[in-house]
Amino acid sequence: MERIKVSFTLNGKPCEVMTKPYSRLLDMLRDDLRLTGTKEGCGVGECGACTVILDGKAVTACLVPAPSVEGRNVVTIEGVGKEGKLDPIQEAVLKEHALQCGFCTPGFIMSAKALLDENPFATKEEIRRAISGNLCRCTGYEQLTTAIYEAAEELRKLNKTKI
Amino acid sequence: MITYEYRRAESLEDAASVLEKYGDTARIVAGGTDIMVQIHEKDKRWENLKCLLDMTYLENELRYISEDSENVYIGPLSTHTDLENSEIIKKYLPFLGEASSTVGSPQIRNRGTIGGSIGNAFPASDPLPALVAADAVVVLYGLCGKRSILLKDLYEGKGKLALRRGEFIREFIVPKFPEGTVTGFSKLGRRKALAISRLNCAAALTFGEKGEITRARICPGCIFIVPDRVEKAEKLLIGEKPSEKLFYEAGRAVSDVMIERTGVRWSTEYKKPAVEEIVFRALAAAAGMEV
Amino acid sequence: MPLSKVGEKRFNVINNSVPRIDGVDKVTGKARYAADIYMEGMLYAGVLRSPYSSAKVVKINADKAREIEGVHAVVTCFDMPRRQSWATYMYLTDVIRYPGDCVAMAAAESKELVDEALAAIEVEYEELPGVYTIEEALAEGAPLVHEKYKNNIFTDSYYPIRKGDAEEAMKKADIVVEREYRTQYIEHSYIEPEACVCYINPNDGAMTVHSASQNPFFTRRYVADVLGVPMNRVRMIQETLGGTFGGKEEGAGLVAGRCAYLANLTKRPVKFVFSREDSFLESAKRHPFRFRYKAGLTKEGKIIAWIGEQVDNCGAYNNQTQFMNSRASIHSAGPYEIDNVKTDTYGVFTNNVHSGAMRGYSSPQIIWAQEQFIEELADACGMDELEFRRKNLLHDGALTATGWPIEHCVLREIMDYTAKETDYVRKHKEYKTQKNERKRRGIGLAVTHRGSGLGAESPDASGCMMICNEDGSVMINSGLAENGQGLKTAYAQIAAEALGVRYEDVKFFGTDTHSIPDCGMTVASRGTVMGAQSVRKTGEKLKGIMIQNALDIKAFPLEEIEKKYKLKAGSLSYDKLEVKDAELLNSEFFLKKYPEVKVPFKNVCNTCLWAGKQMAAFEWFMPEALNQDHHTGQGKAFPTFAYGCIVAEVEVDMKTGYVDVLKVTASHDVGTAINPALIKGQIYGGIVMGQGFAVTEDVITGKRGQKTKNFDSYIIPTAMDAPEMKINIFENDDPAGTYGAKSIGEPATEGVGAAIANAIFNATGRRIYENPADLETILLGHKLQ
Repeated sequence: MERIKVSFTLNGKPCEVMTKPYSRLLDMLRDDLRLTGTKEGCGVGECGACTVILDGKAVTACLVPAPSVEGRNVVTIEGVGKEGKLDPIQEAVLKEHALQCGFCTPGFIMSAKALLDENPFATKEEIRRAISGNLCRCTGYEQLTTAIYEAAEELRKLNKTKI
Repeated sequence: MITYEYRRAESLEDAASVLEKYGDTARIVAGGTDIMVQIHEKDKRWENLKCLLDMTYLENELRYISEDSENVYIGPLSTHTDLENSEIIKKYLPFLGEASSTVGSPQIRNRGTIGGSIGNAFPASDPLPALVAADAVVVLYGLCGKRSILLKDLYEGKGKLALRRGEFIREFIVPKFPEGTVTGFSKLGRRKALAISRLNCAAALTFGEKGEITRARICPGCIFIVPDRVEKAEKLLIGEKPSEKLFYEAGRAVSDVMIERTGVRWSTEYKKPAVEEIVFRALAAAAGMEV
Repeated sequence: MPLSKVGEKRFNVINNSVPRIDGVDKVTGKARYAADIYMEGMLYAGVLRSPYSSAKVVKINADKAREIEGVHAVVTCFDMPRRQSWATYMYLTDVIRYPGDCVAMAAAESKELVDEALAAIEVEYEELPGVYTIEEALAEGAPLVHEKYKNNIFTDSYYPIRKGDAEEAMKKADIVVEREYRTQYIEHSYIEPEACVCYINPNDGAMTVHSASQNPFFTRRYVADVLGVPMNRVRMIQETLGGTFGGKEEGAGLVAGRCAYLANLTKRPVKFVFSREDSFLESAKRHPFRFRYKAGLTKEGKIIAWIGEQVDNCGAYNNQTQFMNSRASIHSAGPYEIDNVKTDTYGVFTNNVHSGAMRGYSSPQIIWAQEQFIEELADACGMDELEFRRKNLLHDGALTATGWPIEHCVLREIMDYTAKETDYVRKHKEYKTQKNERKRRGIGLAVTHRGSGLGAESPDASGCMMICNEDGSVMINSGLAENGQGLKTAYAQIAAEALGVRYEDVKFFGTDTHSIPDCGMTVASRGTVMGAQSVRKTGEKLKGIMIQNALDIKAFPLEEIEKKYKLKAGSLSYDKLEVKDAELLNSEFFLKKYPEVKVPFKNVCNTCLWAGKQMAAFEWFMPEALNQDHHTGQGKAFPTFAYGCIVAEVEVDMKTGYVDVLKVTASHDVGTAINPALIKGQIYGGIVMGQGFAVTEDVITGKRGQKTKNFDSYIIPTAMDAPEMKINIFENDDPAGTYGAKSIGEPATEGVGAAIANAIFNATGRRIYENPADLETILLGHKLQ
């Protein structure tokens, strides 16, 4: 089948890809663009390992047809953190030892980022709900929840100093 | 792997003509939370899929939640997240918002749409019972024009909708409840998130001046082949004041009707007591009763 | 023995929560997993599985598949010369023994071409009768899964315990209680599905394998065997592993074996990544057990006789059942002092997916049954269940079921501490009399003991290579593998502690089978407790070498030391200095008597390189020999045991059967906490995994195939389901493990299911005889099937 062109914004920059018409966003990111930080864990939108941010919302890239991001804005784990510096969420995950095998970690960070971008005052309960579409078999979620909560505090501080 | 061509719907008319042309070999995609799963699973229904028709670029026409004095209007591209957050839904159809907030996970609610949830005829749909309980009307769009039918009449059989070739869901029109109506939704899943409903129920109660129930709507989910209100249970409530006993009677009426319609099955031993409780909880939630 | 908390021991690097060595790579998505590898000219691989659980392939025709353009290889079960792996599993087979068995495989230029090729293969099957449950397998005249094993009993996995005379003692008992318990299939549910990339290295012709393998050497064995080449022609490089929990051992070997076969056939790099469905169908599951226990008690509540039969469903192929049953039999009487024990443990073959190693290696099932049984025993003699345990628990000097005296035992202390902390006694009593018909609370407790390391199962030896570079950086290499648990971090800490350098200066890059000898498997929570013994040994050896080097090259500024310490000029002399006089700590040398003058490690390393000094060491560690009599199971089975106590608090919805796990308190004796934060991570994860085992997880399989194939129907807890968790880590003077460390990976999960089951009983008054405690079981008291 002939490839089709998809133009969109990827991690803040314009991006054009020729992809198979039946590619999922996940295939386009991994196979076409070799952005392999987005992982495939189940293919049915249950595990959340392929979570990316599409137009500001966390979505599972395995359920998004690739051509369906035409003209839209996609952020992947590769687009988190600026100028070689880790994002406060990443810093907090490290500090809290909130990762083990690491396979689900990018997905969690994307869900957390989508949440904190929208709601910097998220409570622990809201955090648990926001990451409830991401399965982790290693950590039991506890250190992750704490890490995201701490990252929110840190982000609020950073935003204050900016103003 | 199921492979297919991708088409972006340019307009409502364009969508209808693509569907008309391809018939069963085309399928609408919006959020993709059902169809993309079925494609991954190589579902037999889509063995001959030729075209995936992307509706998401018709957001201007199809993604909205609005109201007039009589009705609430919901565009089918509204996501579960949209419904959960909508002030209009909160005000007029709170149980629909609650139901939407229990769907899958944030990622699924962010992508999955009300049109898809209904259009895929998913039997354990969470928003479905609320829409049926509210006597929602679905507007269908086709090349021959629009037509409206009661949502519950859209279902023809297990997983089958009464859609004509080329037709798709254009809008949901939900009549506003009479003054003094309260609603409740209850759901039973196997975990707190990413849970497919084992059972669910939506209920709406309208109270008269003396606190008596003047109008009742009860729609259980997951138990019938086609979704339906249970009038036998609704009638029991009319003229009565809310009580645990009354609501359990309604629950039992629902389980009676379930067995009448679907017979005694291997799962009935569990479903009967559980559905009675889930109906009770939806009614109790509507009536603001502490349980 | 009194309990001691972390921090009472004195260490430099270990006992600290240093950051993970692989943390930054993982949070940025840069860490490379096997599926992330793309190579020029790479093909994709896939397999065709049987739609039947028990069948025979009558005819297979792959001609159409071979004709498809872009398809480079199609291999059917009739044209693969070595279709059986070195173990019993089949790469491809015409005898279908379970619904994951494969009849053909293909390699093609894209994933969709692989699918097209597989779909084009025509297979004619003859469906055969099969056996799916333990009862069906053992029934007279039942179809045999393997001709070799009559009655479907896997005789090699039979382990008896014979201690005292249980039959005689039972006759003398005042009270006799008999019960049966059953557990279910559990899927590991690592989030990374199996993946592998194989290619022939053009430089040396070796089949090079990048794989998600729990045990790299194990995978190498599969590949060398399937290709029929010597092991030095296969190089297995461990990629970052996305979780395993015991699951990526045989499974990884099967994936790599097929992938390497196709790479060899096509002379192209081949990538084989499992879909989640593949993973569910082919990866091993936790063994379902049927436990039958009978105990004889005195009126006063002392267990005097214990008879048990532990039968596990090993599925279609043997996957470590014999090793697992060894552990199961050693622990078959629980952490209790019982003079007369007679237990029999064995596996049976069925036409289900093979059961295998999974976190706990039989203990979650056994403890779940035993700790419920213990409460039933307490009840039978009218005793409080804590008091009953106290009366029977193992203690220093008591003999285990294998007749060996226990040392450094803190079971009772840890139980009493945890019960007190959770207000167990008051709550347990109060909850028993609840009247609420809708929601009820419950609290439950379980105690655990676990033999550390492999014990008498198999050799627990390992080696370590340690290299100091000229700039003072240090590299370590071991055959044990990072599984995500933090092994690289813990090893770097242990190396830094033993050698006397800073943690930041040590790196462990992962395992490459060309660079280090086979060190056994990274299993049985042995990585730190036993595997790291060789790291410590090598570090200590190398430290001596480096101090000698420093003396040889006269690295210490003796004049400066004399001045600083106001010593007589010339009083210090290299002639009189020996290794014991100097120290290496935090990457600095100094003379022990004059610690204020330091010499940077890197300066010494640099000079040593040009002086031709040895700056590397390799050491092998072999633990003391353990010995058990095979006919009675008596003898020393493990170097030591780790102890734990779990308390779970639940709320049960009496109308729907929904169990909400509200809080879990976990207390563990870890010996020495090498990295407390990593330990906590293990425990948090173990608790939630135990919750899934107790309440929701179940792989449904049988004649009509395996129904559970993905995470939509296999229900593991989400962040919203996880309970509040409280962790108590205790240390212990037990010297057996590396720096006194004990196992934690498996203890973290093994007692949780039992505590939850006991909490459910406390809430509902109903015992869970068949796991899990799903909605239907709670409401109806039995499974809905």
